[in-house]
Amino acid sequence: MDTEMGEAEHAMLHFVTPGETVTADTVFMRGHGTYNDGEELVATVAGVVERINKLISVKPLRARFSGEIGDVVVGRISEVTQKRWRVNMGARQDAALLLAAVNLPGGELRRRSESDELQMRQLLSEGDMISAEIQGFFQDGSASLHTRSLKYGKLRSGSLVTVPSSLVKRSKAHFLHYTLSPGLHVDVILGMNGFVWVSKGSKDANKKGDVPNSTQEDADALYANVNEPITNEERMAIARVSNCILAIAKESELITEAFILLVHEASLRIDCKDIVANSKQIIDAAKMSY
Amino acid sequence: MKSDVVSPEGFRCDGRRPNELRRFNCDMGTASGGYAGSGADGAAYVEQGNTRCLVLVFGPKEPSMRSAVLHDRATLSVEFNIASFSSGERKTKLRKDKRLLEMASIIKSTFESVILMSSFPRSEITIQIQILQFDGGSLHTAVNATTLALMNAGIPMEDYVVACSAGFGNGHPILDVNYTEEGMDVPVISLGITPRSGKVILLNLESRLHLDEFEKVVTLARDGCTQMHEILDTAVRSSAEALAR
Amino acid sequence: MSGEQFLSTSERTFVVNALREGIRVDGRGAYEFRGLSIELGGGGFGSAEVLLGKTRVLANVSAEVVRPTANSAEGFVLFNTSFSPMASPAFEAGRLTEEEVLVSRMLEKAVRRSRAIDTEGLCIVAGEKVWSIRVDIHVLDHEGNILDCACIAAISALLHFRRPDVTVEGDQVTIHPMDERNPIPLSIHHIPICISFGFFDKGERVVVDPTHLEEQVQDGDFIVVVNTHRELCTMSKAGGAGLDVARIVQCTEVAAAKAAEVTELIRGALTKSNEIKK
Repeated sequence: MDTEMGEAEHAMLHFVTPGETVTADTVFMRGHGTYNDGEELVATVAGVVERINKLISVKPLRARFSGEIGDVVVGRISEVTQKRWRVNMGARQDAALLLAAVNLPGGELRRRSESDELQMRQLLSEGDMISAEIQGFFQDGSASLHTRSLKYGKLRSGSLVTVPSSLVKRSKAHFLHYTLSPGLHVDVILGMNGFVWVSKGSKDANKKGDVPNSTQEDADALYANVNEPITNEERMAIARVSNCILAIAKESELITEAFILLVHEASLRIDCKDIVANSKQIIDAAKMSY
Repeated sequence: MKSDVVSPEGFRCDGRRPNELRRFNCDMGTASGGYAGSGADGAAYVEQGNTRCLVLVFGPKEPSMRSAVLHDRATLSVEFNIASFSSGERKTKLRKDKRLLEMASIIKSTFESVILMSSFPRSEITIQIQILQFDGGSLHTAVNATTLALMNAGIPMEDYVVACSAGFGNGHPILDVNYTEEGMDVPVISLGITPRSGKVILLNLESRLHLDEFEKVVTLARDGCTQMHEILDTAVRSSAEALAR
Repeated sequence: MSGEQFLSTSERTFVVNALREGIRVDGRGAYEFRGLSIELGGGGFGSAEVLLGKTRVLANVSAEVVRPTANSAEGFVLFNTSFSPMASPAFEAGRLTEEEVLVSRMLEKAVRRSRAIDTEGLCIVAGEKVWSIRVDIHVLDHEGNILDCACIAAISALLHFRRPDVTVEGDQVTIHPMDERNPIPLSIHHIPICISFGFFDKGERVVVDPTHLEEQVQDGDFIVVVNTHRELCTMSKAGGAGLDVARIVQCTEVAAAKAAEVTELIRGALTKSNEIKK
């Protein structure tokens, strides 16, 4: 994909380092990664210059995930405080998940009472994994999350894979479902922050979306702490998919729904534990079978 | 008996000329390969002659100590360590601890004025410096490695901080002083500049140097810094070619 | 900075604007030291109380016979600083502030590393007995530039100090009490004087001996330790506003001149105290 990027395009990349003047033209406005030194716009990070109309910014080669409104993320609860949980999603600051932003067991439109505040730990406690969406940002730059749709919430029956956040691009599908063989399903949640949850798949390919009148059972099930029963075969499948994602990350390729499947196919002839070590061959093989 | 710092033919003990830098080598982004497990956001490895330094940068991230949180800017914490196997003899505590704290404090003060700290309120940036092999010039090598590591982590800075050392021996100003020369009672100036403005942001002298020689030595150090800047910049760009997508 | 008061923006601008006109808040010139008074002998030999403007520092030197490290024939010089809470609301008893660490580091570098004191002369019996000289610094009042004041106090106290005379006959080591034999001054090679500079207005304005207010407003600092032989013993600048090399060279010249002045004052104080004794 990126190797197909033309030589011409490559040459047009304007690469700058801190202290270097990006432009002396006062017509431009300064964006991220720059500062004003008199009339000149100077870079503050080592990266590529991006120009959108009159806005010039420098995108650093590597940076922590910051995210935008609407991004799907996977995170871990790091702290339970008054009326909110703090979530570690690998960003500069922990994100906040407000009590008012989650679905409570017992119905959609319930008012949050004091007992809810005291029982926050019964819903989500430290160490729990969740999937959520970025709702907005606070003034200091930390994110505010919500799990208001039934597709978000506590994560179970699976394991976490961490990859550089730059390898996960915004797309329509972040909740992926793979039917690897009849009866063998694996679900993958691609967090924009680079946290990926690989878990046992649900039987049907359609996950529940926003259902206006959720039943008591659905809501209760949201915060259960018990894993579903997982067979050995499913565990192997989860491990294989996890390793495939790690292999893709190791080769610095973009992680997408289609590519994961291709890599998985290419990996079938190798032992699960050797996938990451042989990442180069597998990725090359996957690309060839495009 | 007492050997000359600069021989009559104009050579130093390691064969260099007075205004020659030691061989330089660096590697940025050792993080993506080797240090991903430690969670370092940026890493750089620098070799200046036989002095080798590794710097890991963490952050900006949630501060480890609540008390360290500043509401309008980031907090910077620096750790400076010298490995016990880094010098000729194995020492479990190489030099007194105070010396290491001092180096860490110097580097912290230096970079605090160059990193755009107000971009990251309530966060913490941690810099861990490890001297793996010691042959003199650990301060300026650490500064250069830190600059590279911060860039690798994508932390915004007003400019590079490039550093170099210069000394005075046998009537000659000499550039990039090594351990043997330091032992020959050569006074050493460690200098750090921001190349864009050319101004000095770090200056450290700990041995006696006559005022009349000062200007020559500090000017040589400044020229050394300018050379280092070109070298570092080239290294950053070539490592970027590899990473650019 | 726990008890330290923050400074208002208008106070800051006042100081900087005054400097742009060439005036300091207390009316001094940029390269003028505050009134310096050195009192020696208040607590016997080796005690000095220095008043720099309103900053007050007390130094006391004492000597003790100890075993040297390994088989060395050198004595020790140790510094101990204590920033008394009565000096400033920012100092808490028992808590080491960054400023305290800075002062004790600089004193060590200025006096010990530059080998101002002849440590070989402190040897009594090689490998067995040496003198350990201890300098205790007490900061009694903080009105800016504790470092320069502490350095003057330390070096004056060391110059004033007399250690007991020692005779070594074979294995027998006799330490003569002070009233029996005249005590001996320390052998001091050179007198290092610390001069601190404060920078304002992005490094454009420089002043010597900043007051507490100026210290809080300054963009950066620069410390030079120099002796009367025009030798630079220590220099330190880390962070703060960047400085041109030309400006730095200029500062070293100023520092040398100031050091000469201060050394004269110290010598004057020593002579005076010797006269009083007679």
